[in-house]
Amino acid sequence: MRKLLAVAKREFKAAAANKTFVIMTILGPFLILAITVLPTLLNNDPKIASSGKPVAIYAERDDAGAYLGAAFESQKIPSVRVEDASRAKERVLSGEYAGLVEVPARWPDEEARYYSATGTDAALFGTSQGVLGALATELRVAEAGLSPEAASRLLSKPGFRVVKLGADLSEETKTDRDFMAVLFTALSFVMMIYMTVLLYGQMIGRSVVQEKTGKTVEVMLSSLSSRDLMFGKILGLGLAGMLQYGVWMGMGVLMIKVVGPLFSLSLPAAVTVGNFGWLVFFFLLAFFLYAAGYAALGAAAEDEYHLGQLAWPLILFLVIPMVMISTMILNPQSPLVLGLSYFPMTAPIVMLVRILVSAPAWWEVAASVGAILLAIIGVGFLGAKIFRVGILMTGKRPKIGEVLRWARLK
Amino acid sequence: MIDVQNVVKAYDSVKAVDGISFQAKPGEIFGLIGPNGAGKSTTIRMIMNIMAPDSGSIRLDGRPLAEKDKARIGYLPEERGLYKKMKVGDMLAFLAEIKEADRQASAERADEWLRRFDLLDWKGRKIEELSKGMAQKVQFIGTVAHDPDVLLFDEPFSGLDPVSQDLLLEAMLELKAAGKTVLFSTHIMDHAERICERILLINKGKAVASGALADLKRRFGADAARVEYDGDGAFIERLPYVKSCRSFPRWTEVELDGPDAADALYRDLAGKVRVRRFELLEPSLHSIFIRLVGGESEGADRA
Repeated sequence: MRKLLAVAKREFKAAAANKTFVIMTILGPFLILAITVLPTLLNNDPKIASSGKPVAIYAERDDAGAYLGAAFESQKIPSVRVEDASRAKERVLSGEYAGLVEVPARWPDEEARYYSATGTDAALFGTSQGVLGALATELRVAEAGLSPEAASRLLSKPGFRVVKLGADLSEETKTDRDFMAVLFTALSFVMMIYMTVLLYGQMIGRSVVQEKTGKTVEVMLSSLSSRDLMFGKILGLGLAGMLQYGVWMGMGVLMIKVVGPLFSLSLPAAVTVGNFGWLVFFFLLAFFLYAAGYAALGAAAEDEYHLGQLAWPLILFLVIPMVMISTMILNPQSPLVLGLSYFPMTAPIVMLVRILVSAPAWWEVAASVGAILLAIIGVGFLGAKIFRVGILMTGKRPKIGEVLRWARLK
Repeated sequence: MIDVQNVVKAYDSVKAVDGISFQAKPGEIFGLIGPNGAGKSTTIRMIMNIMAPDSGSIRLDGRPLAEKDKARIGYLPEERGLYKKMKVGDMLAFLAEIKEADRQASAERADEWLRRFDLLDWKGRKIEELSKGMAQKVQFIGTVAHDPDVLLFDEPFSGLDPVSQDLLLEAMLELKAAGKTVLFSTHIMDHAERICERILLINKGKAVASGALADLKRRFGADAARVEYDGDGAFIERLPYVKSCRSFPRWTEVELDGPDAADALYRDLAGKVRVRRFELLEPSLHSIFIRLVGGESEGADRA
């Protein structure tokens, strides 16, 4: 045990004194800031997102011009009425105006237009379209000779509410913004797990390969067993990962408990201390699983380039949940998502998202965690075997058959 | 005591080690001698349990090597390796730690060795800043600082300058005097001659000769002479019992076809040339080796 701890201590120091580690640890909280506070700030004040440049309004109808001006003002977006449409277009191109709304005299029978240099400023043209749409409806209702009461009744939408059922049948109203908040939170959590697992996995793989290319492996094996070496490395780098997550967690909790209330920010509903706990828990599971896999690949690899080639199946398993993230959020009960939440290689990420989005039963979480734990033992065992034999192999690329033969060796 | 019996190890179809047996005892330096690729490193790796032999047995004090025995052994592999980013002092402390050695005692020993190799000022520097020779000395210190009973040095002198080689030879003699079992491999016969009592000569995985160096030399006899003389010695080469004759500026080395020929040579020289010096030469380990393997490895030997 002393040997294993000595290796773990050395690996921890080597990892934590690493520039990437320091940068990631410092940047991590900013990422948390981005996922927690920024969306709320953006929602509260669209001005933060806008360029601050005025929107030009060229309206041949005064009612439309006045409506647009008022709508932009209510959103704190500056606007200006212009008399010359073609000059205004030039100023849009030169960057003086954020965009130009053009309403012709025969509108709404003739189309209105929004001009911009990008065509992607959805906030601006969305506002314009919405305002003009409402005005057109109003005009047409008046044209049809309906009373204002009849018109508002005609136009009002029937009530509809989306309710999330908690495990104890508790009810929680959901809105579009909630969906976006969950999407953001889930995406950020998944990104964090993906990045850190990949980063630490590759660190372990490289660290094993470097034992071979740096020729230290023989000295190491003359003092300790390959098992102590492998698990020492995994433990050391795992502790470095936990330190990093600890810093992030602390920042996250600080954000939720102190900064949020202080600036009376309404944080996305999915950003809770409990969910941060799940994040760390599933990070650890994913870490140990992928660490064992990477250690085995590192032992079988000839050098770091070869390791990169061998590692693609592992990366693929990490990428699958990333690609499927919107499916997982929109449809967490689909058979594919359920299946992936029990398949060990994808389970850490998929089950985490399921917990964020829906309320899986405790036994579902337990089954998923159990599958991951079994896989960790299996991959760790296999990895240790490949490690034992593969770590001394240099100068010759092992074939798949050979790797499997190592796994059977005593 | 290291007891190696009839050990065989094959890579694919090539037998790297083919039926090697020897014993290395406490208080002696045992030399494993042979050209590159003879199977020395493979043998040492098998003793270290880094590789398993295909057949045969390796015992340490009568038992197969167990994991806990690793703490008693110091191993300097042929492929030197230290963690480049670590400081010399930290590296040595780490190496002692994974041998589960007493921290303070091994740190003191390491400092003593660093002082001796004139490396104490480098203790706080990173390994990557050291020269190759310095790193090699640090590796040697890492091998001995936990005070092991058994020492395995695989080509310990390669890459060292003559002064450092002498320091190392001296250190190895001290380890022997302290009752350690020292096993080392080399392809440089001169080193083996200077410090080994007993040797095993191997070539292509097979033992060629073994035993005490003195016995070996006696067995191969004194069948060469070095002669210093004034006058015309051209006739020496034509004497019937002279196998070959090599002339150097100050003397001539004469290889004879048997120990008895020395007397005949001495008599024949008298009167024909003025002999200033006549000396019987012991065969060098090198010449014994060349004779045993038929010169086929001579090139490799100098590599």
